[in-house]
Parts: sequence; C-alpha cells; structure tokens
Amino acid sequence: MTHRWRAVQTYPETIYSMLWFELLIQGIIHGSMYAIIAVGLSLVYGLLRILHVAHAGLFTLGGYLGLLLTNATGSLILATPVAAAVVGVIGMIIYRVCYHPILDQPPYVALIASIGLFIAMEEIYRLIFGPYGLSYARPPLQFQVQFFGIQLRAAEVGMVVVSTVLLTALSYLSQKTRLGIAWRATVDDPQMAASFGIDAVRVRYLNFFIGSALAAVGGIYVSLLSNLVEPTMGGVPSYKALAIIVLGGLGNLKGTLIAALLLGIVEAFGTIYIGQWLDRDAIAFALLIVILMIRPQGLFAGR
Amino acid sequence: MKRSWIIIGISMSLILGGMLSASMAADTIKIGFHAPQTGFAASDGKSATIGAELAVEQINAAGGVLDKKLELVVYDDQAKPAQAIPIANKLIGQDKVAVGISGSYSGATRSAAGVFQEAEIPYIAAYAIHPDITRAGNYVFRTSFLGEVEGRAGAKLVGDLLKKKKVVIITLQNDFGKSLAAGFKNAAKKFGVTVINEYQYSIKDRQFGAIVAKVKADKPEAIYASGYFFTAGPLVSQLRAAGVTVPVIGQEGYDSQNFIEIAGKASEGVIITTSLDRDSKVPETRDFITAFEKKAGFKVDMVAASGHTAVKVAAAAIAKAGSTDPAKIRDALAAIKLQVSTGTIQFNALGEVMKAVQVQVVKDGNWHHFAVIDDPDLLKPPAR
Repeated sequence: MTHRWRAVQTYPETIYSMLWFELLIQGIIHGSMYAIIAVGLSLVYGLLRILHVAHAGLFTLGGYLGLLLTNATGSLILATPVAAAVVGVIGMIIYRVCYHPILDQPPYVALIASIGLFIAMEEIYRLIFGPYGLSYARPPLQFQVQFFGIQLRAAEVGMVVVSTVLLTALSYLSQKTRLGIAWRATVDDPQMAASFGIDAVRVRYLNFFIGSALAAVGGIYVSLLSNLVEPTMGGVPSYKALAIIVLGGLGNLKGTLIAALLLGIVEAFGTIYIGQWLDRDAIAFALLIVILMIRPQGLFAGR
Repeated sequence: MKRSWIIIGISMSLILGGMLSASMAADTIKIGFHAPQTGFAASDGKSATIGAELAVEQINAAGGVLDKKLELVVYDDQAKPAQAIPIANKLIGQDKVAVGISGSYSGATRSAAGVFQEAEIPYIAAYAIHPDITRAGNYVFRTSFLGEVEGRAGAKLVGDLLKKKKVVIITLQNDFGKSLAAGFKNAAKKFGVTVINEYQYSIKDRQFGAIVAKVKADKPEAIYASGYFFTAGPLVSQLRAAGVTVPVIGQEGYDSQNFIEIAGKASEGVIITTSLDRDSKVPETRDFITAFEKKAGFKVDMVAASGHTAVKVAAAAIAKAGSTDPAKIRDALAAIKLQVSTGTIQFNALGEVMKAVQVQVVKDGNWHHFAVIDDPDLLKPPAR
C-alpha cells in the first residue's frame, strides 16, 4: 500500500541470503516484543529481588484495554497511552497490595504470591471477557510496507519502532534525569539512597508504573500482530521473559535487551532449521542452558 | 467460635442440598459430560457444553427417554488428563450416569475412556481425535472423525478437488495436528500430491513470522495447515499479510466464527474439512443450527454440533436399549444408525464413526458449503 521504506528490489527470491535476511527481520520483531515485556520484569527484579510472574498478566490486560478502547474510539493512538497508564496504575496497586506487605519474607513467598496472582488474573479475564478471545473490529496498522524487498505489516514495523523509542526514552530517563538517578541509586544501595533523602517507596511505585505500562504497550502490539487477545496470552511471555532476564544477568537492563533480541533471532532461525526436533518454546530454554553453562552469571553480570 | 458455627451451617446446607439433588435424581436419567470450562480450551468446552445442553432440552421437550427426563451432569476437566480421571470416577461412582460423554480434547478423553471402560459404562468422545481413545475397549465410541481420516480427506481435497500438487504442511505440534499430518501424507501420493516441506509450531504460538518467510520462499501451490481457530486465525492473516496467496487448507479446528473474526479478510477462500455443513438441507442439521444460535447467542461451530450429536446418539441408544443397563446401551450404540446434526452416525467394530466429511469455505465472512467427501474406502477408520 504505502512504499515509504521501499528499496530497490534486486534480489531473486530464491537466494538463501534473502530468506536469512527475512528471518533476521522476523527475529528482530520478536526480539523487540520480548524486550518490551522483559524490561519491566528486569526492573522489578533489580529493585526488589522479586520474580514478578504476574507481570505477564498485566501484558494481557494491556492487550484487552488497548483493543476495547480502540474498538470504542476507533483510535489506536488514543487507546495506547490510556491503556498503558491504566495498566501502570494497576501495576502500582499490585505492588501495594500483593508485594509490599511481604517484602520482609523470603523471596519465594513473593514468587508464590505472584504465580497465584497470575493464574487468578487469567481466570478473571476469562470471566469478564469470555473464553473466546477478542478481535479488533477494524484492526489498525494492517497495511503492507516494503522494507528492502520484504513485505511487512505496519504493525510489525510498529512493534520495533515503539519498542525502540520507549526503551531509549527509558534509558534517557534513568541516565539523565534526577528521577532516574534516584532510581538507580536505590537499586544500587537502598540504605545509602534513603540516607540521601530518596523515598524508596516512591521509587518502587515508579518502577512498577513504568514496567507495567511498557508491558501493556507490548500486549497491544502483540495483539495487533495476531488480531487476538485471549485470557492466556500472557502464558508464553510469562516464562520466556523469565528466561530472558536470567540470560541477560538478573536485573541487568542492557543484558535483558540483548538477551531479548538474541532470543528473538535464535527462535526465528530455530523454528525453520531445528523446528522438526525442538519446539520453538524449548529453544529459549536450550539457549538458556547453553549460555549458563558457558557463563553462569548470564551474558552480563547481574546486580 | 462464631466462625465454626458458620462452617457447620454451610456444611449442613451442603449436605441437605446434596440429599435433595440425590432424591430428585431418581426420576431422571443422567448423562455425564466433561469439558474444559476454564483454561486454554475453555472456548471449545463452552460451545460443546451448550450444544449438549441444547440436545438435552430438545429431548426433554419431546418427552424425554423411557418416560424419564434426561439430566446432563457437567464437570470442568480443564482439558487436563489428570482432572479427567477423578471426574470420570465421580460420574460413575457418585452420579451414576448411564452414559459418559467427552466434550473435551484428546488427553483428557483418553484418560477418562479407560475409567469408563473399566467400569463398563458406555462412553462417547464427541470430538477428541486420538486413535487410542476407542482402543480403550468395547464400551468406548467416537462420533467424530479420527485425525488420520480427516487428514486423508484433506489430501483428496488438495490433490483431487483443487488439483494442487506441490504442498507445504504446517503442523500443530500435538496429537491433533500430528495425526492430521500423518493422514494427509499417507494419502498424498494417491492424489499426486508432493509435500515439499513441513513445519511445526506449538499450540501457544500466535506469531508465525519465521514460518511464513520460509513458506514464501518454498513457493508451494497450496498450504495444508492444522490448528485451532486461535492459532489458524493469526497464521492465515500473517500468511496473507506477507503476500502468500495460494489456497490454505484447514480442518475442523478452524471451524468457528472466531476464525473469521480473527483472520478478517484474510479468511476469505480458506477451505476446511469438518463435520458440520452450514448450508445443509437436512432438517436435523438446519434445526440444530437455528436452535443453537438462538440459545447460545453466537454462531454455531463444529464442537457445538459434536456435543449435540453425542448426546442425541446416547439418548437414542438408551431408548433403543429400553433400559439403563450399561451392557444393553452398549449393544444399542454398536448397532445404531441415526441422522443427527453432523450426518448419519454409525459405528464400525472399534466404535469409530463412519460418515461423510463436509468441506466448507469462507465466503463473505461466513462458512459455506464447498463439497462433500463421501468415499468410504478413503475415509475408512481402523477397525482395531
């Protein structure tokens, strides 16, 4: 339809390098999707040492709210920030209600609470929105885009662009603003940060807000790719994001991003070349095992 | 102290409630039904349950069976084998059902089938496709196609009806997808079809970018892709979005209005093998479609028709047996020939159904008649 990214189409399609390029692009699209989900999880782990499994439930909620708001208003541009903000606030509420009271308990207590919450969320979505899943009345961003001879959907390009923009903004926020510096100080040494007058609880709320809002945006774009939001759509991200943050070195944001992209690309090629023997979802864990055998601390040292 | 009184009160009312339902049960004939009401398969379970409830309502409205009302006892098995076994025991031991029906997937159905066979209570699988289900024994029947059989019908559809010879298979990695692919490949040669590549995906996958890229490079004449509406919808829309225009052939897993909603315009022209003909002139099928859509409030699908079919078959067998004696019902089932919403049901020696395969196509946002494959040799289920 539009040809904004149009390039000269010189490759004969049968050449394998073309297929590889296409698989690489698919890998980057999936990697961006994993990145935007895993970052929130990594943020929470970095700050609180909690494996926040229910994060994937917020990803699903983002998908639902984005879809319902888009169907109601006809505008994805309006729906995305509203859904992200609402889910961000719900993330803060989850912290207050679910994690805050048990922070002094061993980490597995929070993990169990989180898993329980995640299962409850899936069933609540099923009760409220029905078991069949919802689809966009008129799915946005479905027009086709040419990118160096590859035909892509605008939603796929959107996934990468939105993910890059938001994660760059997050990096700017944490490096260059007072707020970000306070946040990083709290992650490094909560007691020292507190003695400098940083309110640790406020930092945690901010952390949950940002992480959850990012997951919501991820949920919206994933549902644009499949035109389907279902109660269980958080299932795969819930454990794949865990694999990613372990791979990236627990709590290390840069590591998380690289691990997400790496996993996306390995999966794209793996689905085609080893998919007969190894399930795509198993590839994540095979990669995890191989890398942890070589580098037990993950790709990058954790905190 | 106060709390313990509340607990006693609640348990008393539960016991009384239980006694009440037990005393009412005496003048009904119970049919046990397990289907996923929660979890990933809840959508299929819900449709199947409504289909089964509709059949019970229709039978009761027409006077019931053996002068008694039918009662459907429904449990949620979450499509999990581990849930199905205690449920089967409960249906047999506590509810004392005359016939058990599975409105569930293969895993749960296989588990329950063994329990029903052991207790020698007749058991009908409404749409589970695994071959081992009926091999549990002579009390187990299946009113839907085996994956293998439907796969063979798919090969005839591609090679004979559509005249496409170079095919890529995209297989859902579970017993459903794998047995369909096996059937397709077994019959492919007979219809001159060459399978140039096969890819697999897991039931949780919704993003198929990599497979789509490779299929595009393969340049097939048609794609045979197994899946359920929630995987096939995204798959078909992603294939079309990437510029793959060749025919996509699916099966009964696609058979839902949800598939069309998810895939949108990309669903147009998708052809499937299934057991429900939307444009059927057969009164049983017509009436069922109208009644179901009125009761459920959404469009009919294959699992709904399958749930409906299984209850109708069970009721007819009880009526023909003239009693609720399990052995007599079993014999009546084995000899049955009954016209229902999904065709004419009769069983072979193993308890596998022998009926025609309906071929449907998406046209203007609805499923419509495309062809019927009624080739007894091709569709012959295994007899042992």
